[in-house]
Amino acid sequence: MSSVQLHQVFMRDADAIATRHADIFGNPWGRRAPTLAVWGLIVAILFYGIWSLGFSLTLFADGLPNLGFIVRLMIPPNPETWQRVIYYLNQLIQTLGIAFLGTLCAALLAFPFSFLAAKNVVPNLLIHILSRRLFDTMRGVDTLVWALVWVNVVGLGPFAGTLAIICSDFGALAKLFSEAIEAADRKAVEGVMSSGGSDAQSVRFGIIPQVLPVITSQILYFFESNTRSATIIGVVGAGGIGLSLYEMINTLEWHQVSFIILLLLITVSAIDFVSTKLRLAIIGVRPV
Amino acid sequence: MLRITGLSRAYGDKFAARDITLEIPSGAFIGVIGRSGAGKSTLLRMLNRLVDPSAGVIEFDGVNVTTLKGPALRSWRRRCAMIFQQFNLVGRVDVLTNVLMGRLGHMPAWRAMFKLWSHEDRVIALAALEQLDIASLATQRADQLSGGQQQRVAICRALVQEPDIILADEPIASLDPRNTKVVMDALQRINREFGITVIVNLHSLELARGYCDRLVGMAQGRVVFDDVPAALTEDVARELYGLEAGDVMAEAAAPAVAVNA
Repeated sequence: MSSVQLHQVFMRDADAIATRHADIFGNPWGRRAPTLAVWGLIVAILFYGIWSLGFSLTLFADGLPNLGFIVRLMIPPNPETWQRVIYYLNQLIQTLGIAFLGTLCAALLAFPFSFLAAKNVVPNLLIHILSRRLFDTMRGVDTLVWALVWVNVVGLGPFAGTLAIICSDFGALAKLFSEAIEAADRKAVEGVMSSGGSDAQSVRFGIIPQVLPVITSQILYFFESNTRSATIIGVVGAGGIGLSLYEMINTLEWHQVSFIILLLLITVSAIDFVSTKLRLAIIGVRPV
Repeated sequence: MLRITGLSRAYGDKFAARDITLEIPSGAFIGVIGRSGAGKSTLLRMLNRLVDPSAGVIEFDGVNVTTLKGPALRSWRRRCAMIFQQFNLVGRVDVLTNVLMGRLGHMPAWRAMFKLWSHEDRVIALAALEQLDIASLATQRADQLSGGQQQRVAICRALVQEPDIILADEPIASLDPRNTKVVMDALQRINREFGITVIVNLHSLELARGYCDRLVGMAQGRVVFDDVPAALTEDVARELYGLEAGDVMAEAAAPAVAVNA
């Protein structure tokens, strides 16, 4: 009843409205052209990539039985002797140690540096650009490459692996932290300033409480992800269970390989479980 | 006709709204008054079904709204538009698109996903914006507008739903006196010109008396007053507002400059 009447009121001057707001009623394809062009480009690049990298469904289909063959060889997972089990567990603990120490040191280093790169804390453009480029450079080099470098500097072993994780994650974490700091709400800072707080105090009480939950959850995620990275860098001799995994694949000991993979899966999901609990505990309940 | 019978909402063993029974004829302008926590918001949110009632029935023109699900529920929400204290616009999106969101209930879902608004939908959105004198802001981002402008965008979004009822939950609580008048006048005009039922939660007795045909007073989740504004005596106000009653009544007794009822 009333809605019909309202509809008529809205449509009464339809043509006049369309003329008055020509910018909005202009050619719809013209308005959508940029979006469509971007999507067209993305699809074109996708197909070019598939073609140029030699994606082939036949190769994939022909190779698939091999994958099944390997999986059959892996069952059942079997470490054969108890000595091996204990050896693998020791290696696994070393891997976890590399991931934990690496993440912790990277985060401790990244935290102070991230403030330098946050425009709302240090407005100096030169410092901003220099610190950003430093972070880019550190994380531009992959953990595996850092591992190769440090193995040559400090020798084989977990120390090299830890240094590798510190280097690449320092860059990544510092970038993420500084972005979290830049996204922080200015109102809290103003509140602290208005009651006579210094610049440092306004960062301490205005910004840090806001960014702490984000930063913590990023660190926890990096710890999870580094447990996987620490496995890979073991392959180049930077400590941990990766080396055993690599050796077992090379010597075609598939039962051992699947046992190691099983250990890693259990570890990663255990860390995931614990870190989710921690994250929720730290972030706390959001007000509705 | 909106008929509410025995409507309650419990959170654990605490009642936010308790045994509310009201009859609201089409085209009414109803003010729901009472202090914070009296259950005003819960009542409005239950009507829109943003909150599910623990007990009781809401009926609109003979249809039981309380049991609606899926498309029928969405269609009901389309018919009873909601306006919020904090505007609830999508800040990063332009004003026109925010208003067009009010048309979602009138179009196929796949068209909405690709933002393929029809010519008619655009005309309706701009007509609504012109009605509230903010058509010039159509292409601006919603979070760049002032509070008063944002609330007018929210009213436009409600209007283009072509609703039978508009539920306004403390629509002026975050606005200055001038914008308060703009927004309340707009609601009044919508009510008078288009016959849309308006139910508005208000903290201020003065505004409620100035604009509403009928007041519903709530305290501790219950309806304790339901009559024309003139019947609201000091005793009733004391029951509604407790210790604050003196302030509220003094305010209401003073000449109401901002009101043009």
